[in-house]
Amino acid sequence: MNALLATFSTVFLLTFISAPTMGAGWFWDAGNAIGFAAFAGFLYLTITSSRRLDVRKHQVLGYGVLFVAVAHVFWFMLGDGAVVEFLKVGAPDYMWHGVVSLLLLGVLITVALVPDRFRVYSDYPAFKYWHRVLVVITIGTATYHIVVSNFYLGTWYQALLFVLLAIGVAFGRQYWIRFGQLPIAGNAVYIAVSIAFGLVFIAIRNLPT
Amino acid sequence: MKIAFIATVIAGVFVVAFGSPIAQEKPHRDFYYGAPEPILPMSFAHLDHVTENCVVCHHNYADDTGGGLCMNCHVTDPQVWPLFERQYHDLCRTCHEEKAAEGIDGGPPRECMACHLGDDLP
Repeated sequence: MNALLATFSTVFLLTFISAPTMGAGWFWDAGNAIGFAAFAGFLYLTITSSRRLDVRKHQVLGYGVLFVAVAHVFWFMLGDGAVVEFLKVGAPDYMWHGVVSLLLLGVLITVALVPDRFRVYSDYPAFKYWHRVLVVITIGTATYHIVVSNFYLGTWYQALLFVLLAIGVAFGRQYWIRFGQLPIAGNAVYIAVSIAFGLVFIAIRNLPT
Repeated sequence: MKIAFIATVIAGVFVVAFGSPIAQEKPHRDFYYGAPEPILPMSFAHLDHVTENCVVCHHNYADDTGGGLCMNCHVTDPQVWPLFERQYHDLCRTCHEEKAAEGIDGGPPRECMACHLGDDLP
């Protein structure tokens, strides 16, 4: 729970370093709060995977993160009639990075499950290696999507801190596994924390000051 | 899980191809302003922008790069046309964002439909 709150706090606080009250309307801010919740959830999922991993909890939370990431996409696609135009040929590269990160997240989770895992990977070490490689690429593409779309991380130092956070989680495994096996939150807690942080995010950016 | 994810991706492709089934308003791509390819309609009212310096948008008043309406060059000049979407997004959204950061209601900084419904405003 503490690690989950710390991850969410870090991701959301970085968006508030400059222009904390700048919003784009509750609909847009809500959709992006869902996206930040998905990203924070994915980072949390990564830092809670040590050598003595509870695979079942890791897997179930993976479903939750994928659900929230899908909700981020469909929130915009269904709610704003023009957003789909941003997903067609000629769309900015940061949108394609978002699409790729979602697809990779889906592949990462679905082919990690038996029996598909046995079909895709020759042995367990190969699975672990490629699972981690896919995690790094997914974090990278999602980070590019968030940083380059350039709204909530409008200053260079916010972008730098966000990238450093992503790099730290993606490549810092040898350091954060020293914390031991952190308890993995269930989906009910993850969704509740996502809603709480999302509501604060929307309120600060949209309530009259 | 695998089937659910594949079904979700297919649903997403359908929404991209055919549009949102629940969004109340949808923009219609067409050859607006003589564009060589179908583009989205745009809303712009000079009346909403009277506090801005004209040359912020009408750079040609100051840099002698042509005359006429914005679209005369930006959708018909083959050198400028490929930059059309990026240039307009950069100009409009950046200005709207700067206003939003100052706490001023300076136009929509992000919502697509707030700008991409056509209008007949001068």
